[in-house]
Amino acid sequence: MNLMENVKMALASIWSNKMRSFLTMLGIIIGISSVIAVVSLGQGGQHTITGEFEKIGANTVLITVESSKAELSDYITLEDVKQLKEKVPYIRYATPVFQVQGQANSRLKSKRAYIIGGTSDLYQVDNIELAYGRFYNDAEYEEGKPVAIISNSAAKSLFKMEDVVGMTLDIGSDSAKKSFTVIGVVKNQIEMFSDMTNEDNLPAIIYMPATTLKQLFGMYGATTQVYIVADSKENIESAGNLAVKLLENRHGNRGREIYKAEPLMKQLDQINNVLGIFTTFVAAVAAISLLVGGVGVMNIMLVSVTERTREIGIRKAIGARTGHILFQFLTESVIISCIGGILGLIFGIAGAYGLGSIAGISPYISPGTVIIAILFSSAVGIFFGIYPARKAARLDPIEALRYE
Amino acid sequence: MIRIENVTKVYRNGEIQLTALKGVSLHVKPGEFVAVMGPSGCGKSTLMNLLGCLDSITSGKYILNGKDVSTLSGNELAYIRNKEIGFVFQSFNLLPRMTILENVELPMVYAGVPARERRARALEALARVDLSERIKHRPSEISGGQRQRVAIARAIVNKPSVILADEPTGNLDTKVTVEIMRIIQQLNDEGVTVLMVTHEPDVANYAKRIVRMKDGCIIDDYPVQNRTVL
Repeated sequence: MNLMENVKMALASIWSNKMRSFLTMLGIIIGISSVIAVVSLGQGGQHTITGEFEKIGANTVLITVESSKAELSDYITLEDVKQLKEKVPYIRYATPVFQVQGQANSRLKSKRAYIIGGTSDLYQVDNIELAYGRFYNDAEYEEGKPVAIISNSAAKSLFKMEDVVGMTLDIGSDSAKKSFTVIGVVKNQIEMFSDMTNEDNLPAIIYMPATTLKQLFGMYGATTQVYIVADSKENIESAGNLAVKLLENRHGNRGREIYKAEPLMKQLDQINNVLGIFTTFVAAVAAISLLVGGVGVMNIMLVSVTERTREIGIRKAIGARTGHILFQFLTESVIISCIGGILGLIFGIAGAYGLGSIAGISPYISPGTVIIAILFSSAVGIFFGIYPARKAARLDPIEALRYE
Repeated sequence: MIRIENVTKVYRNGEIQLTALKGVSLHVKPGEFVAVMGPSGCGKSTLMNLLGCLDSITSGKYILNGKDVSTLSGNELAYIRNKEIGFVFQSFNLLPRMTILENVELPMVYAGVPARERRARALEALARVDLSERIKHRPSEISGGQRQRVAIARAIVNKPSVILADEPTGNLDTKVTVEIMRIIQQLNDEGVTVLMVTHEPDVANYAKRIVRMKDGCIIDDYPVQNRTVL
């Protein structure tokens, strides 16, 4: 009595009760598919976020000023940023990030603007991709030239064309504006809801040298946020620590713990942690339906054992041992669960892609998830099949033969 | 061959005790053809179940082919049922979802015979009961007489030393009864020991020896005079 024999027998029995077998499987299918969908969407989300972070830069460290403790003199100036880049060995790029709301006017149109100022390193730090033109250079930064790089949607909405390099644009607050030359256009970024919203409603995103921004808005020109990029992964921590030390020296505020260096990858870990816990929780809820499916399998197997009492009696009379009968029924429940598991896997993956396309997450199906799904459904088959199978195997042959 | 000594069988159902066999002794030699007769409730079915190793005796001794089977475990009894005994039931007891051929192959599946050999031996057994057509059909698609012939093929396929037949012709008409009895006599002629329960004197007359039972005891045991030989 080998495995193939058993599988053949089990398949025949499942096939002879097609509808019932399918309904029994349905519980497993729903259970497995919901777990697969949730887990692969969760992992897909983690991958997307990780990818975004890596694009920004795995080696990026955010230097922040603890604003609750800081005085105005503690804030990081443009000169500080310059010194950071020149004096600290491991720093490849350094830029402050100033963000100001303003106004941008072309000859055709006036628009709300979201203005970002930094050093020329902002180009690398923010991983900006240009469709046309170029980013501002060191000289333009030092001299505070009126040059701007605008978003693709802003170009389309302000000028009704895409390549607007060389055009002039008035940028500033409502009261004071200055004429700028557009030197670059940022490639269209995939923005959520970008299809649904008219680009006229989106604010124009404008990059310009921090020095220019400072003049334009008459700002003090100090910030609480500076991004630095280390030259390698190994030096991330040293770069951060040295940067904090240099800032403390320059401001003479050592011991007050004003500055903090935090690698962005650390934030990623935290986000991934939260997402992981959330995924596990939802998957656990979905797994309960798998449990219910397992109970369904047990229920049908018990009915099947009762229905086939006489068959069991006949089999025993002609020489089937306890193990033969046990194995026969166990094989049947495992096969039902496994087929359910495989169908659930297929539906789960399909569902993950379906839901993912709606939510804008590309699901990630790891081989581990697939293997665990199959193993888990077989485990359900064994766990919930063992009781009915034992019941069948222990039947008394004479009573089973007498059963009508 | 078969030797039982002072065998009793007591069924317990809660408080109620039912003694089905009250110290039965019987000796069957190889090649015998014994008909067990008696009114219903006399214990003849219980005797057959015990001899067929389907049930365990309460007290006494059962020696089958020189082996004491009264002390064997459930799985050891299953092994003996598979190898030493072939059952033929009144209601045929074929598995309805399997084909004729698969039904005949089944005892060999449990004996661990390879598939190719199973097929050959099953066909051989079916040929011995004159059934070589419709072997891919299911039991519900053939007549009662044909079903009983399939059951006999299944009983002999593992080449047992004993065939136990419990009212093998009880569900069949006279013409078919003759057919079945001819096959059983042929098997007996080839050396298979046969024990058959029946309450019809006509059928018992095909046997070589008759054992009469009443109230859990053997009351008579005699060779058949003027045996019907087909």
